[in-house]
Amino acid sequence: MSEEILNIKNLTVDFGGVRAVNNVSIALQPGEFVGLIGPNGAGKTTILNLITNAIKPTSGEINFKGQSILGKSPDRICQLGISRTFQNIRLFPQMTAYENVELGFHSEPHYSLAEAFIRTPHARKIEIDTRKKAMELLEIVNLKEHSHARASSLPYGLQRRLEMARAMATSPELLLLDEPAAGMNDDECNDLVQLIRQIHTSMKYTIIMIEHHMNVVMDLCRDSRIYVLNLGSLLAVGSPTEIQNNPDVIRAYLGERKQHD
Amino acid sequence: MELFIQQLVSGISIGAIYSLLAVGYALVYSVYNFTNWAFDGFMAFGAFMAFTGITSLFMPFWLAALLSIVLTVILSVGTEKLAYNPLRVRKAPRLFMMISAMGVNLATVNIINLIYGGTFRKFPVDNLQPIFIKGVSIGRMDLMAGGISFGVLALLWIFLYRTKWGLGIRASSIDILTASLMGINNNAVAMIVFAITGVLSSVAGVFYGIKYAVFPMMGVVTIKAMIASIVGGLGSLPAAIVGSMILGILETLVSGYISSTYRDLFSFLFLIIILLFFPNGLMGKSSDEKL
Amino acid sequence: MGYINTIIILGGINIIAALGVAILTGYTGLFTIGHAGFMALGGYMSAIMAKEFNVPFPIAILIGGTFAGLCSFIIGYPAFRSQLRGDYFAIATLGFSESIRLLLNNTKTIGSIKLGGAFGYMAIPNHTTVLVVVIAVILSLFFMHMFVTSQYGKNCIAVSQDEVAAQMMGVNLLKTKMIALFISAFYAGVAGGLMAFYFAYLSPSFFTITKSSDLLAAVVFGGIQSLIGPVITAFILVLFPELLRSFAEWRLIIYGFLFVIVMIFRPQGLLGYVEMNFEFARVWWNKMFRRKQSGTQEG
Repeated sequence: MSEEILNIKNLTVDFGGVRAVNNVSIALQPGEFVGLIGPNGAGKTTILNLITNAIKPTSGEINFKGQSILGKSPDRICQLGISRTFQNIRLFPQMTAYENVELGFHSEPHYSLAEAFIRTPHARKIEIDTRKKAMELLEIVNLKEHSHARASSLPYGLQRRLEMARAMATSPELLLLDEPAAGMNDDECNDLVQLIRQIHTSMKYTIIMIEHHMNVVMDLCRDSRIYVLNLGSLLAVGSPTEIQNNPDVIRAYLGERKQHD
Repeated sequence: MELFIQQLVSGISIGAIYSLLAVGYALVYSVYNFTNWAFDGFMAFGAFMAFTGITSLFMPFWLAALLSIVLTVILSVGTEKLAYNPLRVRKAPRLFMMISAMGVNLATVNIINLIYGGTFRKFPVDNLQPIFIKGVSIGRMDLMAGGISFGVLALLWIFLYRTKWGLGIRASSIDILTASLMGINNNAVAMIVFAITGVLSSVAGVFYGIKYAVFPMMGVVTIKAMIASIVGGLGSLPAAIVGSMILGILETLVSGYISSTYRDLFSFLFLIIILLFFPNGLMGKSSDEKL
Repeated sequence: MGYINTIIILGGINIIAALGVAILTGYTGLFTIGHAGFMALGGYMSAIMAKEFNVPFPIAILIGGTFAGLCSFIIGYPAFRSQLRGDYFAIATLGFSESIRLLLNNTKTIGSIKLGGAFGYMAIPNHTTVLVVVIAVILSLFFMHMFVTSQYGKNCIAVSQDEVAAQMMGVNLLKTKMIALFISAFYAGVAGGLMAFYFAYLSPSFFTITKSSDLLAAVVFGGIQSLIGPVITAFILVLFPELLRSFAEWRLIIYGFLFVIVMIFRPQGLLGYVEMNFEFARVWWNKMFRRKQSGTQEG
C-alpha cells in the first residue's frame, strides 16, 4: 500500500454548542476520486473548510503527504498542493476569466519584487509562460473564447468551470470540489462529469467532491469510495453500490424518496 | 491619593462619553459590517444644535438637549436613507460604504465650519461648583456626564434585550438575510439602529462640548471611541464599553501624571500594542467569514 | 508664468501622493485617511537629510520615501495581522497621521536639529522646479504602472476583490498588503519631500486630515483600479481651488457630497476598473506605436 496523500484522523469541530463535525476520519491514496455526500447541514463543506484551514478544528489531525497541516495558513496550504472551489462561487468578479486563472499561477509571484518594477527579460519570459499555461487551462475547461469576458458577466455554469480552472492553476495535488454541479440540468451535468473525469485522469489529481446530484457522484466515484456524512458524523463508507444498498444511508439520506416509492 | 481619585472620576466620565460613541460604532458594525465614519460629524452636529438652542433660541438646557437629539436622529436616519441604503440594496463592497460615510462626514463637518466658523466655543452652562466628598473635589459635570451616559446605555440594553424590536436587531446582527426571511423588517431595523446612533452621538456631543469645548472638528475624538471599540473587540457592545472605560481612565491618568500633550499619542500606541498582542481585541472573537 | 509653474508643481506633487493612495485604496482595497502622515514623515526626513547632512536632494527624497515606507509597518503589521479586514487599518492610518502631527508639533529640536515644532522647519534648500516635478511624475507613473501590471500588482487586485478567495488560492495576504502599503507610503513620502524642497519650509499644519481627505478624493473621483483616473483628478483638484478662490471653503463640502453621489451612481469613479484602465492604455499605446511605425514606413 502506498502512502496516503491525505489522512484525516478523528476530526472534530464545535460551533458554540453545536458539534458540526464529530470524530471524522478520512484517508486518501494518491490519485483517488472520492465523493462526500450527506443531507444539508451534515458538515460536508465544513470538512473542506477544515482541510484548507478556513476554520480551526477543536481536535483531530490533518496530514497531507505525511506532514501535519494543522494551523498552517490557508495560502500556505494552497502552496503545499491543496486547492478548492466554493459552494457559492467566489471568483474575482471584476477580473477577466483569463486573469482569474492567471492568478492561480502567480499567487506566489515567480519573480522578485524588484523585477516587478523593471520587468527584466527573465520576468517577461515568466509572464509569457504563465499566459500560455493559463490559456491552456481555459481551453481544457472550454472557456477559451470567453477569456476576455469579465468573470461576473459569465453565465453560472461557466463560472463554475472557471473556478475549477482557477483551482487547477495553483498546481494542486489534491483538489476539493464543493458542489460543482449545483444548479445544473442533466445535460450540463453530463458534460461536467466528462470534464471532471478528463481532468482527473489527465492531471493525476486526487479529488474530493461534495455533490448533491446522485448520478454525478455515483458515476464519477464508480471505481472508488463514497463517504456519507450525517449530522457531523461519518455514517457509511463504501463503493457506490454498497452505499446505495446501505440501509442506514437509505434511512438517513434517501428515506423520503423510499417512502414516495 | 486625592489627585488619583479625582483623575479616576474624570477618567470614568470621559470613558462614559467614549462608551456612547463606541457603542454607536459597534451597533452599526455588528448589523451592517462597516465603520460609520459619519458618526464624527453627527457628534459635532449634535453639540452645535444644543449650543444654538441655548444661545440663539434661549432654550433651557434640557430643551436644547432634546432639540439636539431630535435633529441628530433626523440627520442620522436621513443619512442611512440617502447615503447607505442605496449601496446596501446593491450589495456594494464595504469599501464603498466607508467612502460614502466619509463623504457624509466631510460634508457635515465643513458645513458646520462654514456656518459657525472654526473657533472653539465654551458650552453655555452655569459653572457648577464641584462636590466635596471627604476633601476630594469631584466635578458635577463629570458626575452628570457619567450618570446620564450610563443611564442611556442602560436604556439601550433594556431595549435590545427586553423588547421585540431589540430581538429583531440582535437577530439581524447575526444574519441579516435570515432575519429578513423570518419576517423582520430590514428597513425598520435600519431606521431604529440609525435613530439610536443619532441619540448616542447627540448625547456624547453635548457632554463632550460641556467638558471641553464646542468646535467643528470636535468629532475627531470619535477616533478614541474607535480605538476603544477595537481595544474591547469590534462588533460587541459590552466589549465597546469595557474598552472605553479602560481607555478613558488610562488616558486621564497619563495626562495627569505624565503629560497631557502626549495623551493622544499614548492612546494610539495603546491601540498598536493591543493589536499586536490581542489581534481581536480584549474580548473579541475572531470573525470567520462564511464560505 | 510663475503662477502656471506653481500649479504644475503642486499638481505634480498631488499626483504622486494620489498614486500612493491609488495603489492602496484603489488597487488593494484598503481604506486610508491618514496619508498626510506619510507625507510628513517623508518630507521632514528628506529635508533633514539635505539640510543637516548635505545629502544630494534626489537621494534625500529617496531616503525620505523609504523612511515613510518603513514607518508604515508600525501600523501595517499589527493591523493586517489581525483578521478583521479593513476597518482596523483605516482607523490606524488616521491615528498614525494624527500622532505624527502631534509629535512634530511638540518637537522643537532633535539633538542639534531645529525642527521648530508648530512653527515649522525653516530654511530647507529649494530644489523642486517644474522640470524636477515633471520627471518625478513620469518616473512615478511608469514604476506604478509596471507594478500594478506585475504578478504582485495583480495579487493586490485579487485581494481587493475577494480576500478570502485570494488567500485560498495561495495569496499571502500579510505580505501582499505590506508590499502595497510600503509602496503607497513611499510615494506619499516622496511627495512630501518634493513639497519640502518647493516651499523651503515645512509645518505640521500642512499635514492635517484635510490633506488626507484631498488625496482620498482624488482616488475616489478618479476611479478604483485605475492610475490615469486619479492622475487626472489629482491635478484637477489642485487646479480648481487655485482658479476659484471663493470656492475654497465650499471645497470639502462639495467633495463630501460627491463622495456619496459617486458611490451611489458611479462607484467605479471617472475612469475606474480594468477596461477603462488597461484597455484604454493599451489602445492609446498601440495608436502611438503604430503611428510611429507607419511613419517610419512612409518615411
